[in-house]
Amino acid sequence: MGVIELLEGSLWTLSVCIFVVFGLWRIFVILTAGRSPTQARPVGSPRGGAVRAIFGHFLPRRAFLGQGRVWFVTIAGYAFHIGLFALLFFAAPHVAFLRDHILGFDWPALPRWGFIIAAQFAFTGLLALWVRRFVDPVVRLISRPDDHIAAGLTFLVMLTGCMALGEQSVTLRGIHLGFVEAWLIYFPFSSLMHTFTWPLSRGFTGALAGRRGTRM
Amino acid sequence: MCVAFAGLVRKASLMLLVTMMFLVVAVEHGAAQGTVPPFPSQSGPENTLGDQSDSDIWRAIRQGGGGLPGSSEVTDGVLINADGVWWSQLRRPAGPLVRFGSIGIATVLAAIMVFFVARGRLRIDGGRSGRRVARFSLAQRVVHWVMAVVFLLLGFTGLLLLFGRAFLIPIVGKTAFSIIATASMQAHNLFGPIFIVSLVALFITFLRGNSPSFSDLKWVVRGGGMFGGHVSSGRYNAGEKAWFWTATIAGIALSVSGLVLSFPDVLGTHDLLHRAELLHAIAALVFVGFGIGHIYLGTIGTEGAIDGMISGDVDENWARTHHDLWLDDMKATKGGAADGRD
Repeated sequence: MGVIELLEGSLWTLSVCIFVVFGLWRIFVILTAGRSPTQARPVGSPRGGAVRAIFGHFLPRRAFLGQGRVWFVTIAGYAFHIGLFALLFFAAPHVAFLRDHILGFDWPALPRWGFIIAAQFAFTGLLALWVRRFVDPVVRLISRPDDHIAAGLTFLVMLTGCMALGEQSVTLRGIHLGFVEAWLIYFPFSSLMHTFTWPLSRGFTGALAGRRGTRM
Repeated sequence: MCVAFAGLVRKASLMLLVTMMFLVVAVEHGAAQGTVPPFPSQSGPENTLGDQSDSDIWRAIRQGGGGLPGSSEVTDGVLINADGVWWSQLRRPAGPLVRFGSIGIATVLAAIMVFFVARGRLRIDGGRSGRRVARFSLAQRVVHWVMAVVFLLLGFTGLLLLFGRAFLIPIVGKTAFSIIATASMQAHNLFGPIFIVSLVALFITFLRGNSPSFSDLKWVVRGGGMFGGHVSSGRYNAGEKAWFWTATIAGIALSVSGLVLSFPDVLGTHDLLHRAELLHAIAALVFVGFGIGHIYLGTIGTEGAIDGMISGDVDENWARTHHDLWLDDMKATKGGAADGRD
């Protein structure tokens, strides 16, 4: 069996299995962890607090609107995440791959110019946010090796994907697929899980604040 | 015996048939091309070329000679556009662009190594004081490092595309190089627009302090103090200003020519594309050459220089050694607060 066959066959299946099983397990653990009972009488609504936190945090807090660095993080964050989402689910090779290997159906893909624009946004956003982890003294202190590995792997997945955009080389496709598989295997054990856990963490802290009658 | 003889006859017949077919195709091909057939034809007109030979005609065509187009759709009247010959000569693996370009990059690397061996690391006068002076804002640092990553990616892939045929094919072979070149081209085209945005951001965030001043002249005359002695300098010295303006001008040239090359059908004629590619290559070599020097001086070449681009502040003695006028000015205007960020 050649390397390409391995990457497209057994390794692909293994990495998807690890991604699904351990990702679900981690969410299950979070959901069933519970919390210590609070004796204090609730002042406000935990549910309202959770909903406010989940949706309210899509924009910066009003008190920080005048700060350039807050807008920098917000714009770069949206550029990266929306760009990556568009690449992941609307790039023509990905739509075809998902149809042929996983779902069995497809949907309209981005035209080439749309792919290029999405990639520009995703790369610029990721680079700006990753660089900030090194040069902002506060963010540098709270960044762990995991954050850098996650950012680095995501960057390499995107870079190798764009390098294989010509779809002329099996080798380039294999390199991209190899990085995708490494990313999928790393995903459930890393900060990349925030893809799925952000509503849980926002909702939990929002509910705590709501119960105390405060707003986050 | 009989079987062998029959086989021989079959082979001879086959060869005869193939030869006849080849001759028929050759005659018809020659007729279709309008050239003289390989042997005289009884039925065709004779002396159709007059006193001209095939060589004369093809030479004229090769040199871009005009003619009467057979089709009304052809507006140019030129069968072969020979304008690109100079570019082909210039761009070939052993051509002047690759030869002089590689010599230029190698010279920069050699000069840096010689300088490092001869002069060593540029030390802070009096050593580190432990007092910090704010020098670059967060925005400046983010823009600088985003540009640095994009520069490295574009520089690496661009050099692979420019020098790959000459230097990589003999090592990795044509098949592997075709994969490397395809990947490099895709990445290069993708990061080009990010370079343009980064260049604009870099220009805006670093413009202040990069205007020429009289102290720059003294700095240049005394070699920037690189061979000993102290030379006063403002926020940026003449060398840094030269890098800033070189990067800006070369960056604009790279951006404009890169856009022309990225949209050949919309923006470029054949001749414009050749000139754009030449400008792109020269501007890139200048950018990369200066960039290598900048990387050296900003990292291992100068003690304490990289601090400013990572944490945003530098040691006060470093500021006094390299940018004393800026330090004095900052202390005077900001009431002694060591904050020189924009």
